[in-house]
Amino acid sequence: MKLTAATSGFVLAAAITVLFNTALSCAKDAYAPLKDFMGSLTGHDWTTQGLIDLVLFVGLGAIFMSTRAAERIDSSRLIASLIGAVVIAGLGLCIWFAFV
Amino acid sequence: MNISTSDIILLAHAAFGATGCLAALWVFVEVLNAQPANAVRIRAAAVVAAICMAGAWICGGYWYVHFYPAEKALILKGPWPFAHNLFMETKEHLFFITAILAFLLPIAARERLYVNPAARQLVLSVAALIVITGLAVEGAGAVINHGVKVALLRDASKGSQ
Repeated sequence: MKLTAATSGFVLAAAITVLFNTALSCAKDAYAPLKDFMGSLTGHDWTTQGLIDLVLFVGLGAIFMSTRAAERIDSSRLIASLIGAVVIAGLGLCIWFAFV
Repeated sequence: MNISTSDIILLAHAAFGATGCLAALWVFVEVLNAQPANAVRIRAAAVVAAICMAGAWICGGYWYVHFYPAEKALILKGPWPFAHNLFMETKEHLFFITAILAFLLPIAARERLYVNPAARQLVLSVAALIVITGLAVEGAGAVINHGVKVALLRDASKGSQ
């Protein structure tokens, strides 16, 4: 059986969001003006990043659900993508802050 | 006894995080034996996991923004600067991944898990990832705490000499 449009849409949104989160973490750590700009929006760059992640997850999930874009992807491939994204994003953060 | 607001918020953050991990583990175990009879329980546990992670986010975020800078300064001057440079930096960004997964869990748990193997595999994967990343974040919190402790102990031992 397949996953529903809502589930598959939010799974794909989560995979993209966790990768984006790691990319944004590295970018703001490497480029101080970006960190300062994010800090100026809410008072702290971490708060801004959390809100961006949340909006991205909900927004992409809603878009993928309404367009049924993720529903066309095989369920096993979708689950593997999420697991792979979390592993890459988690290890990426660890490696970045350990060595860069 | 002198328990400050900062202490309460910090302990609430850790307690919410640990409870969220336990709720995700509860979902994992229930889904191993998914049936119509435990479908409501699985959905309830998934919602508990999401609510707890939201609580951990709010408490941890408030504490991090308002109270952590003083501890950060202590850690960086102490013998364990990596408690901030590696563990806090990784933890504060890794937590977002755990939180997003926790918000995904109730959505995935709405599927009819007892007749859908793909949905079961998804919920098991998401719950396991929450437990693994959540425990990593909890462990990092312990290292950060110890970074403050060794810095204070060194200052105290210098003062007593």
